[in-house]
Amino acid sequence: MARTLAMFTDVSLCIGCRACQVACKQWNQLAPEEPEWTGSYQNHPHFTDKSYRLVRFFEQPDDKGGLTWHMMSDVCKHCAQAGCLEACPTGAIYRTEYGTVNINQDICNGCRYCVSACPFGVVAFNENTGTATKCTFCNDRIHNGLGPACAKACPTESIRFGFRDDLEQKALKRVDELKKMGFRDAQLYGADRNGDLGGLNAFFLLLAKPSTYGLPERPRLPQRNVFWDSLASVGAAVAVGLGALVAFRNRNEHGGT
Amino acid sequence: MEPGLLKSADWPLLIDLYFFLGGVAGGAFLIATIAHLLDGRRYRDVVRVGYYVAFLAIVPAPLLLIIDLGLPTRFLHMMMVSKPSVAIGMGAATLGPFHFKPLSPMNVGAWALLGFSLFAFLAALDVFLEDRGGRSMVRLRTWVGIIGSLLGFFIAAYPGVLLGATARPLFISAHWLGAFFLAVGASTGAAAIALILALLRRRTDESLVPLMRFTVFALVIQAVFLGVFIISVMATGSAGVRTALRHLIAMPFGPVFWLGVVGLGIVVPLLMRLRGSVRPTVGLITVFAVLVLVGGFLAKYVIIAAGQKLAS
Repeated sequence: MARTLAMFTDVSLCIGCRACQVACKQWNQLAPEEPEWTGSYQNHPHFTDKSYRLVRFFEQPDDKGGLTWHMMSDVCKHCAQAGCLEACPTGAIYRTEYGTVNINQDICNGCRYCVSACPFGVVAFNENTGTATKCTFCNDRIHNGLGPACAKACPTESIRFGFRDDLEQKALKRVDELKKMGFRDAQLYGADRNGDLGGLNAFFLLLAKPSTYGLPERPRLPQRNVFWDSLASVGAAVAVGLGALVAFRNRNEHGGT
Repeated sequence: MEPGLLKSADWPLLIDLYFFLGGVAGGAFLIATIAHLLDGRRYRDVVRVGYYVAFLAIVPAPLLLIIDLGLPTRFLHMMMVSKPSVAIGMGAATLGPFHFKPLSPMNVGAWALLGFSLFAFLAALDVFLEDRGGRSMVRLRTWVGIIGSLLGFFIAAYPGVLLGATARPLFISAHWLGAFFLAVGASTGAAAIALILALLRRRTDESLVPLMRFTVFALVIQAVFLGVFIISVMATGSAGVRTALRHLIAMPFGPVFWLGVVGLGIVVPLLMRLRGSVRPTVGLITVFAVLVLVGGFLAKYVIIAAGQKLAS
């Protein structure tokens, strides 16, 4: 496998311009959709089959009775242990040589299992094509030496793209800088390859705890349940099988031998 | 877990119906096999009806699944594509055009459905030929029954494991859905056989007694696993999980859960048996079996609907 490519999003530099969102739509030729406002600048509330990139806006009450305005450009995390990829029964979802996670549109049959298996609600179902879709890190661009459209368009370099190990070093340095500047809660999310989901290939520098940005504090690979759920089912099968044997055993009171 | 970001597959009623029929088929096949192994001559009707029920219940299953796909013409991709890759998941294996993904219950379930359908067909064919005056292939039936029962267990339980391997807060928080679904399959499979036997013969006989006894046992197991499921979800304690659980046991699905699943589906049938005679009447068996079947379907429907409901 080639060196892993990754995306590092530093929310302290995001100005909420949504150039990334527009660039994503343009490059991937995603159709326009009806706006869906929920009381903030954010549109849409969720990733859709036509919005692979989404700038999220959050207001958080601060210590002085005011509000802190957080904004974060969100995207598919291309998890090292990806729930969507493991769930996919067809093998349409695969890992590329760069460590990214893509959906082969010629194989997907639209079962939608991946939609409910993503811990971040990224994968969306396209009713027109009958298949699941999501961000590919602009697979066509990165295989031709170009960065993803969103990272190219970002005017503040809040979104950076490159080799994962390089970006990790930059991210760690940036966290130290921010802490020295007084951002006590500055932290990396998904950068640790030994952490949850084996690390995220789209990782973030956050200025508050993950739940402030709507991110799960400890995302879990859903397939970790398969072993224990199966074991419990085997226990139930043994109980049911023994119950059937006892129930159908011949008994004299019912005319048996 | 923050539920606001999560999405739902929005599987429709077709899938609930498939899960229900799969459970009935698996349960009926198991009961027929146990009856055949213990005393095939004495329980001949249980064996016949059990294998017929298993086959007839599993016949529409693939159709329900295929209709629900975004691209139904690609249903074979569940098991085969022209050039399968190995970069499709942990432990994935390929052989020619076929692929197998042990961590994807939907992929494993598709293979199990294929296998179970084959054995359900063979068992039904055997009893059909015997009914037509042919010679029963007893030894073959035994092996078909044993292997088919193992696959039947799988068909009944795997939908619960499949749901548990999603990020939906209600499902990811507990390990007991597979066990619960298996118990529902056992009770509904037995109820389906009892219902058909009672209605066909308009009288009760000794073959119905063990069948009713097993149904009661399966209902108790069902109640235990349902309780364990609810308690284990409660124990996780996160806000998202509590919201999901409220959808199930309060609004909007609470009335169906408490009245349909717990009340009519478990408590009333158990009370009927506790207060009933050793040899119940045809009418009593009919009501009992219908309640168990309706309760079993509602159990799967309401859990899936509550788990799929997005946080508002």
